[in-house]
Amino acid sequence: MKAISFRNRSFVVRSILVLVYIAVIVIMLMTGKRHTILIDNKDSEDGSILAIDGMSIQIDNQEAWEYYPGDRDKAVVQGQRHKVRVEILADGKIVETAFRVPLNQDMVLLEVPKLLAGVEPYLRPFTVLQEQASAPAVDTPQSIQFGGDAVVPPDGSPDAPPAPVLVQ
Amino acid sequence: MSPKKKSAATLFSEYAVVIIFLVITVAAISPSGLSLKYIIQELITRLGRNSFLVIALLLPIYSGMGLNFAMSLGAMAGQIGLIFAVDWSVAGWQGLVFALLIGLPIAVFLGWICGKVMNKAKGREMVTGYILAFFINGIYQFFVLYMMGSVIPMRNASIILSRGYGIRNTLNLESVRQSLDTIFMMKLGGFDVPVVTLIIIALLCVFIVWFKKTKLGQDMRAVGQDMAVAEAAGIPVEKTRIVAIIISTVLACAGQLIFLQNMGNLATYNAHDQTSFFAAAAILVGGASVTHASIPNVFIGVILLHAMFIVSPLAGQNLFGSAMVGEYFRQFIGYGVIALSLVLYAWKSRKAIFNSRSDLRGGAAAKGKDEGGQA
Repeated sequence: MKAISFRNRSFVVRSILVLVYIAVIVIMLMTGKRHTILIDNKDSEDGSILAIDGMSIQIDNQEAWEYYPGDRDKAVVQGQRHKVRVEILADGKIVETAFRVPLNQDMVLLEVPKLLAGVEPYLRPFTVLQEQASAPAVDTPQSIQFGGDAVVPPDGSPDAPPAPVLVQ
Repeated sequence: MSPKKKSAATLFSEYAVVIIFLVITVAAISPSGLSLKYIIQELITRLGRNSFLVIALLLPIYSGMGLNFAMSLGAMAGQIGLIFAVDWSVAGWQGLVFALLIGLPIAVFLGWICGKVMNKAKGREMVTGYILAFFINGIYQFFVLYMMGSVIPMRNASIILSRGYGIRNTLNLESVRQSLDTIFMMKLGGFDVPVVTLIIIALLCVFIVWFKKTKLGQDMRAVGQDMAVAEAAGIPVEKTRIVAIIISTVLACAGQLIFLQNMGNLATYNAHDQTSFFAAAAILVGGASVTHASIPNVFIGVILLHAMFIVSPLAGQNLFGSAMVGEYFRQFIGYGVIALSLVLYAWKSRKAIFNSRSDLRGGAAAKGKDEGGQA
């Protein structure tokens, strides 16, 4: 009987450890995931809300940038909860609000004129057709050689033979 | 031969690799034209980048399994974790922890396989590990080149090959680049010191020292000294060896993440290829052998090997007009030092066997003489 209870207790402890392990992965995913916020200062599609003529926008503790009608810029943030601080340049009015970016959304569009007018939703998912924009594949012979991380100065001699790959 | 001369010769034979390396590196500093400040700064950076990987070799050496050339299995596990971190856009130190947590079970599994295989090839662990790394590399390539993006859904199209599946040859790790090093970068005497990375390495050293004193650590040393005696003493030899390899593989997984976050990019299909060779060369340059290694060997080796890596290309360029000479030299020395260490180890082993046989013969002859005299 004792052995069975010990086995059960061991099973419970192991289960808890597995759950904690998974929980840490989820926490890292939620707090570390990067999102791109497109900050938009344009008229709404139906023309009912007009773009703001001069404002300063700050996302979290990032640098504040000035926006004029038609401007769109982006801010890369980490995590889900963020705050935005908008200062209207004309009258010095300051609006601060917090928003939450969905975990599975890489890019969202923040329509600031709608935010200031109190129209929901001012934050909407934005999906772009992702092209193969990463750097072109390059041969990195150094990385498979000894000390591939070392600084190699540009070689002046054009007829220098390539370094041999000793282990393939 | 006088005792003094003999001790000098013994000293040289024991530290031949270190002495040769030190002489070559010091001689190359002046022709390289690099300032001492630059070299020291580079050494600090590289100490943080590589030490963790080299420390991963210690436990298999304690267990008598020699240099763990299969540590690239752990490196592959770390890289798989990192690919998922990039795919999910998990950035910063959280991205590294995420990659570690994804890579950890894979590293444990691969370490277990490696330990099982090595137990079938006792006495030939190094070559077995080396070939096993090639085998697992094939599976890794299959997984990353064909499974990712086809069977395993990938979210980030920019890391996928244009054909629609498989990961690109080079991944930009901008999202996690130096995320560990820059958590707390201290300016010390004009040098940038990655404090958190060095603290992690120091904690690993403390762990190794503590682990050696534990029951399991003592078992490993006993197994490393004599498997038959350890077995007779009731130590589960095979299990102990498997545990040593699993820990080494897991440490290699974490070490590869530290290495890659510092580098800032990942050569998807060959970043792990030379991991074990570099680590083995570093620890051997530090004065370790196939059977004996310690934490100081790790740091001496990393400093010496990297000092040569830093100065040799420029020294080659300035002396011979081509940096490639320095590159050749670097490779020659890198592989040569492993070969030299293995040859020295084999030579010492044979010499020890010869000496013990001579002692036995001498003892037997003396005994026979004594018995004859008495008769």
